Amino acid sequence: MSVATVKKDTATKWLEEFENTAANRLGASNGEIKVKQEKAIKDFSEIGIPDKKLEDFKYTNVRLYLNDEFSVKRIATRLKSSDVRHLFIGGHVSIVMVNGRFVKELSSLKNLPKEVTVKNLFTALKETTQIEATQFNGQLEDKNNPLVMLNTALAYDGIFISVPENFECKGPIHIVNISAGNTKALYNPRNMIKVGQGASLTLIESYQSVELSEKVFTNSVTEVIVEKNATLNNYILQDEDALATQNNVHQVTVSTAGKFNNVTVSVNGGMVRNDLNVAINGENCEIHMHGLFIAKDGQHIDNHTLVEHNVANCYSNELYKGVIFDGGTGVFNGKIYVKQDAQKTNAYQSNKNILLGDKATINTKPQLEIYADDVKCSHGTTTGMLDKEALFYLQTRGLNETLAQKVLLHAFTQEISDNIIDDAFRKYIEQKIESHIA
Amino acid sequence: MLEIKNLKVSVEGKQILKGLNLTVNKGEVHAIMGPNGAGKSTLASVIAGREEYEVEDGSILFNGKDMLELSPDERAKEGLFLAFQYPIEIPGVTTINFLKTAVNEIRAYKGQEPMEAKEFLARLKEKQKVVQMDTNLTGRSVNEGFSGGEKKRNEIFQMAMLEPQLAVLDETDSGLDIDALRIVAQGVNSLRSKKNAFLVITHYQRLLEYIIPDFVHVLFDGRIVKSGTKELALELESKGYDWIKKEFSEIPA
Repeated sequence: MSVATVKKDTATKWLEEFENTAANRLGASNGEIKVKQEKAIKDFSEIGIPDKKLEDFKYTNVRLYLNDEFSVKRIATRLKSSDVRHLFIGGHVSIVMVNGRFVKELSSLKNLPKEVTVKNLFTALKETTQIEATQFNGQLEDKNNPLVMLNTALAYDGIFISVPENFECKGPIHIVNISAGNTKALYNPRNMIKVGQGASLTLIESYQSVELSEKVFTNSVTEVIVEKNATLNNYILQDEDALATQNNVHQVTVSTAGKFNNVTVSVNGGMVRNDLNVAINGENCEIHMHGLFIAKDGQHIDNHTLVEHNVANCYSNELYKGVIFDGGTGVFNGKIYVKQDAQKTNAYQSNKNILLGDKATINTKPQLEIYADDVKCSHGTTTGMLDKEALFYLQTRGLNETLAQKVLLHAFTQEISDNIIDDAFRKYIEQKIESHIA
Repeated sequence: MLEIKNLKVSVEGKQILKGLNLTVNKGEVHAIMGPNGAGKSTLASVIAGREEYEVEDGSILFNGKDMLELSPDERAKEGLFLAFQYPIEIPGVTTINFLKTAVNEIRAYKGQEPMEAKEFLARLKEKQKVVQMDTNLTGRSVNEGFSGGEKKRNEIFQMAMLEPQLAVLDETDSGLDIDALRIVAQGVNSLRSKKNAFLVITHYQRLLEYIIPDFVHVLFDGRIVKSGTKELALELESKGYDWIKKEFSEIPA
């Protein structure tokens, strides 16, 4: 296929890649997907790689992190089992993804309940028994996010996980995402997670680097479907190398009486941009979103969240906390959208930030858009230095300044990590946080 | 133990302490009384090492060491404790956890091993009794949602846990009802020994009915203008501070 008009210079390279990779892309699995990929590259070509002119990327100029030098070539991993084992946690089922590709040989699936399906998304879309092609990109098309378009267009594979109706998946499933290699590359992993009616799942996603020696840009999109009466606990840790940049989009759709609990902790990585979108499409849903981002010198962490209350009688609560060290930058942009019919909505949002230095920056923008008249909604944001009185108080008890600061930061961050129900992962994440606030 | 000589301290360019002298020996309880604005809390703060206070002149020696050269935590490690007039709330930090850290930091400073968990818990239990502190409170965030009395008791409890050589009590009686006052005083009295000392800063004589001082000093306009025994406190109580003001306002700075 060819695209009639290329409007943006920053799109040219990716249009070529689109042409070159046709045989390997997701579209090869399913005609409907092929059409969606073609539409996506066309839409992308009109915008290109986003820079600050695009409102949603006002504080994150992606062109600084992604340019034509990046390749989309698939490179076979040379990682051995011994290189990745240390990233497994608590004996959980571990699905290893290297540069966005599911590597079964490195994974640990022995404890995976037979009821739960784990396979390549390519295969799942091809089979069409597990997931319908209409669900692919279903909630994302109207978001007009050029990086999602780029992912949709260029995606070749990813992981597909499905928990069947009324199945309670007891142990967590851990997706171990690894960026590795010595090639400047763009990866576009595409995942779909489905929690069937009345089912429940705890899904852990970690993002780490192993033997990474060149810049990579991981442009990941995960579509999550939480069906009627289903529960998904979704815990995310982003702890990558400074060479790794990540754009991570989660599009979550929740049906009647569904529960979605997300905790996103970002402690490392050169640049991290997250979009967590939750569409509430059935009544009596309960949504909890907790985020913690710790940005050090030279790091840039941008959290965008969107909660769409499309129907009545639902509850959503969101708390994002930022710790920004000198020279670090944080962004929080949280939007709550309450549709006219979404009466009796309870929606809360809060963003609290601590700046640890004159050169620490936070850009925070809470947004409420409410079209219903019988709702309880609130949002608030606070940004400040650590409480000097509290620091002095602790010092008079014998804690030196560094330790006193650590104690206060620990308390600040614990309010987020406490929401992780899985003990092994919570302890793991707390240790990570501890090492980053020291 | 504590020797303060000719201490001159200013805050934001305004001189508050104007040449204060005070010596406290082991085993003694000294009360510092004085009207509002005399510099009582400034004295407590500067001993503890609050950084907004600028020491213009003079010295503070603690067991012969120059306190002014030490950071607030080092002063604590040397054996100083300040009970705050307004104890602050620290959400998310439990009293028990931070005290464990504090106890072990102080021990490490002295070259001692961390305290065994068992020993720590035993001490915790014992000291809670001293100030009749509810066990629930120590497991909660420091002072969060505590009543005024509970906050002050928590100060004395922390003091008991850290076993300082010198404790400075900054208006610990303010905002306390008579029962809470009695508990706090009992706590202090039970900790009195030949090895330690107390500096009790107060506006009212009331507290000194329960914590009997060896010496009473009147702080006025940045100086100690009168020193005596506990009878001086009673005199102040009956006469008020006006006669002090009249008598000493004329002295040139």
